[in-house]
This record gives sequence, C-alpha cells and structure tokens, in this order.
Amino acid sequence: MNLRGLFLKIVRRRRLRQDLEAELAFHQEMSGQRNSVPLGHVALIQEQAFDLWKFNFIENLWRDLLYALRGLRRSPAFVISALLSLGLGIGINAAMFSLGVEFLFSEPSMRDPSSLVSIRLGSNSNASSEVLEFLRRTGIFSDVVGENDEALANYNNGAETRRVFAVYTTKNYFTSLGVPMAEGRGIIPSDSKETVVLSDRFWRTRFNSDPSIVGRNINLDGRLCMVTGILPEQHRSLLGFGFSPDVYMPRWLDETTFQLYARLKPGMSIAQARAALKTVAKRMDSEIPDPHTKYSDSVVIMPVAGYERFATESELLPIGIFFLVLLLITGLVLLIACINVAALVLTRNSARRSEIAIRLSLGAGSKRLVQQFLVESLILVLLGTATGLVLAQGMAGLLARIQLPLPVPIHLQISPDGRVLAYSAVLGLLSTLVCGLMPAWQSLRPVITSNVHREGGARLRRLLIMAQIAASVVLLITGSLFLRNLVNANSISPGFDVRHTLRADVNLPPSAYSAPQRRAEYIRQVLYQVKAIPGIQSVAAARLTPFTDNVSYGSPLRFLDNGEMKHAYFKWNAVTPEYFQVMGIAFKNGRTFAERASGENVVIVNDIFAQRFLNRRPPIGTTFQWVGHSPYRIIGVVSGTKTVTIGEDPQPQLYQPLNQIDNDSLRIQFVMKSAIPPVLQLEPVRRVLYRIDPMAGAQVETMYSSIGLAFLPSQVGAVLMGMTGVLGLLLAAIGLYGVMAYSVTRRTREIGIRMAIGASARNVSRMVMNDVLKLIAIGSIVGLVIALFVTKPLAMFLVPGLNPRDPLSFAVVALVMILTGIAAAWSPVYRAIHVDPNIALRYE
Amino acid sequence: MGKAAQPALLRGTLDLLILHALQRGAMHGYAVAQTIHLLSDEVLKVEEGSLYPALYRLELDGAISSKWGLSENKRKAKYYSITKRGKKLVSEQQATWDRLSTAVGRVLAR
Repeated sequence: MNLRGLFLKIVRRRRLRQDLEAELAFHQEMSGQRNSVPLGHVALIQEQAFDLWKFNFIENLWRDLLYALRGLRRSPAFVISALLSLGLGIGINAAMFSLGVEFLFSEPSMRDPSSLVSIRLGSNSNASSEVLEFLRRTGIFSDVVGENDEALANYNNGAETRRVFAVYTTKNYFTSLGVPMAEGRGIIPSDSKETVVLSDRFWRTRFNSDPSIVGRNINLDGRLCMVTGILPEQHRSLLGFGFSPDVYMPRWLDETTFQLYARLKPGMSIAQARAALKTVAKRMDSEIPDPHTKYSDSVVIMPVAGYERFATESELLPIGIFFLVLLLITGLVLLIACINVAALVLTRNSARRSEIAIRLSLGAGSKRLVQQFLVESLILVLLGTATGLVLAQGMAGLLARIQLPLPVPIHLQISPDGRVLAYSAVLGLLSTLVCGLMPAWQSLRPVITSNVHREGGARLRRLLIMAQIAASVVLLITGSLFLRNLVNANSISPGFDVRHTLRADVNLPPSAYSAPQRRAEYIRQVLYQVKAIPGIQSVAAARLTPFTDNVSYGSPLRFLDNGEMKHAYFKWNAVTPEYFQVMGIAFKNGRTFAERASGENVVIVNDIFAQRFLNRRPPIGTTFQWVGHSPYRIIGVVSGTKTVTIGEDPQPQLYQPLNQIDNDSLRIQFVMKSAIPPVLQLEPVRRVLYRIDPMAGAQVETMYSSIGLAFLPSQVGAVLMGMTGVLGLLLAAIGLYGVMAYSVTRRTREIGIRMAIGASARNVSRMVMNDVLKLIAIGSIVGLVIALFVTKPLAMFLVPGLNPRDPLSFAVVALVMILTGIAAAWSPVYRAIHVDPNIALRYE
Repeated sequence: MGKAAQPALLRGTLDLLILHALQRGAMHGYAVAQTIHLLSDEVLKVEEGSLYPALYRLELDGAISSKWGLSENKRKAKYYSITKRGKKLVSEQQATWDRLSTAVGRVLAR
C-alpha cells in the first residue's frame, strides 16, 4: 500500500468505519428479507477489513507507545540509568564522529566549494605572481586566487607588539571565492595594500567584538591597515583542518609567493582541467622558465575539500584510519552501554513476568509482544540519542577547545549537522535492536515453565556481563597502549639538547626589512647582543628549528666524480656555524661552517644522508650539483635529529650556511644554550630582542616547551583512547554492579537459609565474591584474547619499539578489571552478609 | 491475514467469481453474493465473512471501484463496478482457471 493511500485512510478512518457498518447493515437487511444468506460475524469482518487497511497495525503501535510511556514513567530510576548509559555511549560516538568528519571532510565557507581546486606546478608548493597571472590569462578557470598561509604579522596595539597568524592573499581572494562576512566586507581588488580582514577570534579577543572597528585602522607590521570586515565565527578556511589564522591581508612584498587555488568553469571536470593545465605548464616552461623546476614535470590539481580531497590526498589516509579505529573503539563503548540497558530491561521484564503471562494467555501473539518491547526500547533509545547528542555537543566542544601545542592556530568548528544526526540515528536503531530484541526474546521463550525462564534469564545476563567485561578489557588495553606510547615517546631523544636550550622565533616587519642586507644586519646584532647576556654560552641563528616547522626537498643530485645521478629526498635547514654546538648535535666527521662565506658552496649533511645517497664515497669533500649548476661540497657529517614527530624514522638532512643562501624569509629563529636553567633566560632574551627592534614580534620559549608538536600524535591518541577506555570501564562497572545487586536480591532467600543453618558472613561474602571473580576472569580472558588480534593494526600509530602486545599493559588492565569488579560488587556483598534470615525466609 | 475465517471457496476462485459477476454491471455486495449463488444453480454460497474482505481487497488492488448509490428498494447501498484492470485480471484468471479445471477433470477421468 502506498503511503499516500495509507494517510488518506487514516484521515478518513471514521468515515470508512461508518461505511463498513452501513454496508453490512444493508446486507443483513437484504438477507433478512430473503433469508438466503446466513448471518456472518460483523465484528470479525470489521476486524479483517481494518487489518486490510492497516489500521490495526497503527492503532497497536499507538497503543504500545502510550503503554510504554506509562510504564517508563512509573520507573524513573530505570529510565535515568538507561538514559545515562545510552547517552554516554551514543554521545561519545557522535562526538568522535563529528570531530573526524569536521577534520577530514569539512568544506570551506565559500560559494560553491565543490568547484574550487588547488593547483601545484613543478616541485614548488608555492608559485610566483608571474605564474599566477599566466594561469589567469589562459582562461582555463573562471578565476585564479592565491594565498600564503605561512605568514606572520606583528600586531601593535600601542603598548606591545604581538605576533599574529596572517594569511597574505591576492586582492581578488574574497570576491572570487565568495566568502561570507559577519561585519563589513571582504577586501576588493580596488582596495589598497593597507587593508585587513579580521577573524572572529582575533576580533573578539583583541577588540572585544566592537563592530565600530570596521573602517578604522590598526597597526600591523608598522603600517596602518584599514579593517574592511570581520569573518563569521563559523568561518572555515580554504586550507581546512580547522586552520584559522588571525588576519587576512593583501600581500605586501612582491616576492611573496602563493599557493594557487582556482575555480573551475561550470561543467568542467577536474580531468579536463588537468589536461588543459598540462599544456599550459609546457608553455610556461618555455615562456617563463624557473631555474629550479620544470612546471610540466608535475601538474597537481585537486579538490579543496570534502570527500574528493580525502580520496585524492594519500597523506590523509592514516588519519582516516585512525578515526575509523577510534570509531570502532567508541562503538565498543556503545555496545557496553547497550548491554547495560539490555540487562536493565531484562531485570524489569522478569519483574513483569506475570503481566506477560497474562497477556499471552489472553491470546496476544508473540509478535505483538515483541513489537511492544521494541517500542519500549525505541522510546528509550530515542531519548538516549537525544541525551547523547547533547552530551556529544559538549564533549566535541571540549575536545575541540583543548589547546594543542601547534605552531599554527587550529580551531575545529563543531556543530551538529545532517551527517552526525544520521550517524546517531543509525547507532540508535542498532541500539534498539540490541537493547530490545534480546530481552524480548528471552521473556517470551519461557512461559512453558517459569523456573526454566528464571534460570535462562540469569544465564543470559551473566553472558551479557562477560561480554561487557571482555569489551572493556579491549578498550582498556587500547587506552593503556596509547598511554604507554605517550610515556615512551617522552623518553625518546629528539637528537638534540632540549634541557639547556631555548629558542626565539622572530618575525620581522616587512616595511623595514625588505632588503636582505637589513635582515643580515639584524641577525648579526641579535647574535652579538644575546651572547652578551650573562649565562648564555652560545647562540646561533637558523631558518628552522626542528618540530616547529620543516622544509624538505626532493630533487636529483649529480655527483661530480663520476656523474652519477641520484634522486634524493631530505630535510633542509640553513644555520649559522654555532648551531651544532648550541643544539648539542655531534659531528661524526669534518667540521662546521666557517664564519666568513667563501665563494665555494658548502653543506653539512647527517649520517643518514651520507648512508643513503653517497654510495660509499668518503663523505668529506664529496661534491655534487643540486639546484642550478654550482657544485656543493660536503664539509661535515653530523648525527641526525628528529624533525616532525618523535616517533618518525631517521630522515636524511642537509644544512646550508645561513650566509650563503638567498635569505628571502622575514621569519628567523635563534637558538641559545644557557648555563643556568633556560626558563630564567626567557625575560633577558625578550628584553634584548625588544631593544634591538621593538616592531619585531618575537616569541621566546624554552626548547623543551617548543617541541610539544612532536608529541602531538601520541598525546591526541592518549587523550582520545584513554578517555574512551575510562568511559568503557565506568559503564562496565555500572553493569557489573547492576548484575550483582540483582543476583544478590534474587538469592536473598537462599542466603537467608544458608545463614539460618550456620553459614558465617565470611562464607556468604566468599560465595558472592567467587561468583563475581568467575565472571571477571572469564570475561577478561576472552577480552585479552580478542585484544591480541585487535591491537595488531594499532602498531602503525605507536612509536617504534613499543609492542602492541605489550605484556605490561595487558597485565595492568587485567588487574584494573579485577579491582573494578571487586569495587562494583562491594555493596551487593555487603547487603548479602547483612541479610536477616528471619526476613529473608519470608521473602517473595 | 492469519486470523481470517476459512473461506468457503479458494481465495483466488472467489476473486474470480466476484469479478465475473461484476462484469454484468455495477451491483452492491448482497447482489454479488446472490448472483454467484444463482449462477451456480444455488450450489455456491458466499458468506459475507469472506465476501466483504474479498471486495475490500479487490478494491485496494484497483480491480474494482465503489460508489454509494440507491438500491432497488430505495436504500443507500454501496455499488461496486469492475475497472479496466479488473477486466484484464478476470480474463487472465479465467484462462488459468480453465487450464486448471480441465487438467483436474482429466486426472479424475482416468
């Protein structure tokens, strides 16, 4: 029957019933006159017709709904515990799901984001404005925009200078992308360079959400820039992943390069655009050649957001897998919660045995009863899902607000959307089945003999609790593995001294430092004056410090001795000669750079670089061509450092002297070795830097606190998995408590008899405890066996050297489980030994 | 509908008989029962317990349609008439029935 017909029938139900009655009355009248057709059963016909019209189904459903609501209102304790269990279970699932979805699949807040693509030509991630203009002129795309999101700016509020995260954009950025604004407008092509768009957070924290700031000037990098508008709070940036810079402004220096983004013309597919772009790249190679790379060597064009980006960017896959594992783990939490509810329902149903028996004997079909039970659990789950969504909102918000030690501002916009709702609905449906079907089936089976039923119910409940213990053991083991991982990660050496060193990250204002000589002079000044601070033993400048940023090169090396070509991939840095001494990086061979640059290009490499690319040449003196035609000579080999994460494999590294590179960056870092605890040097260093140039925003921190990023993966893993494990344990403890309390109540009479004939309190408590321990032992063993298999794929997220089948974690988890079990059983045991035989024998 | 009273006729057969009767023109439920009764030389009796559910089912299937009207004795009665779909159905079912009955006849004749 179609839905419309069904609906019409429901609306016209009364009329249909009257019609039916009139028709049957007519029939009886006629047959009464002629007496030829026997009298039928009017009520039965009516019922059949109503069945045919599906009224009964709907009416039953409605009746079940009311009945269930009445029943639930009578037992608020049951409802609250069920809702808490389900709410927490569904809540944590929805929270993790929304985090994962937001991180991996969110789309930028821009007009028609699906038509936006990012473009990379050749081996450079950034392109000059020449390339951008060339692309725009070809007319392949509706428009081409550029942004440079690695920029920093110095914001001066009149009292102090602060580094803020900036994005330099092309002037058509806001208009082409169609970025919605909360206040004012975006930057438009006719605006001057001295304009800026603020993020909501920056506006809120620095200007107290004052709307009159729009149109006024603020001091950025020593220039007065007019605020044209404020981005909305829920703004999602082009880069995604929650990246949310403080300010957007037109680029100031002409050399600033851009990441390229373009909008596809309507109807153009990515494949078509890629084909067109390849031809353009060839033309660019001949018309605007780049000495470092050939544009046509690598033409990358991909969607900026959503599922398409996930499908094309292989680096996202491990993160996707991590979230998937996380969802499976939190799925286990939900399973535990559902088992709790199922056990509660089971207990409730056994109290309703007589009611069920009466209904069955009055002729209720078992299908009808199952339907009623399912309706009951459906109501529970609906309410539970609603609770869960509220909790999820809180949890996800909390998780998103945890300040991660990142060098870039990350703020995920967590808001419930259709996907999260759909996911929760599916979970809710599955939960209904788990919570409702099992108890329903259990309470129907037995009516034949009530004794069998009671034993059966108890057995099922014990099976459930063992499954629960097994599931929480798996949860706890993954949680403890990630905690151990965090501990292990902390004990791994990053390859340089983090205890006696500190770091200053300086961003020079572009207006005063556009000339390279000015930047070199600044560096010289800082090195000279910081070294004069008492307690500072040595100081060096570097383009990068490990873990805060990294640059890698993938390019062919040509060795000059025999002309061999080798494709090399390595981490790059440019440093002053003292860098290795400050950082405590040991020389295995050779020496550091000379103070004064000679004409010859020299480099220092690490041991991995030497092993991997030099093909058993003696490293010192080996000469190779790298970019361009000038040769580079290796003058030293140092031991390696970690660069991005603490758990990574050793990477090849190459250092150039800072005074030999074309230093185009306004960001420069200094590392210092201190004889006294580095934290005491923070203020003196800040003061010196401020004295040298008050307009330069500087961030000074100890090396130890700056390498936080290195521990990020292990921290995130430990927080998420640990939280899940604790929640699972809590739910399992509640379940265990419920089952033991029930079992003691059920056995009150038996315990009373035992005590009456002389059993001591100790005998009774041992009896009950044995019961608990047996459940825990079997559950834990099953859980440990499952964990052996489940933890295997987790190895990819753990630091090297940590066995996913780490025996210590397994042992600790087993112990925790047993202690939790004893704690959960404590109150039932206490009640058992205080059973008064006189009362107990009168029980039931 | 499992709870239905045992029909006096096979379900498919009753549908066929009703549709066949309605091919003579629109008539009310009682007339349908009477027509079948008379046409079968008073052998087949259709009880209302099976007649009306069958009528409603056929109506839901779209094989017949209904309309309230006045009966020969000036009473309000619900008149059923066969639809195009019903006519198609009746010819199909008649062919099936013919095949079946000759086959059964043959078996019993031997």
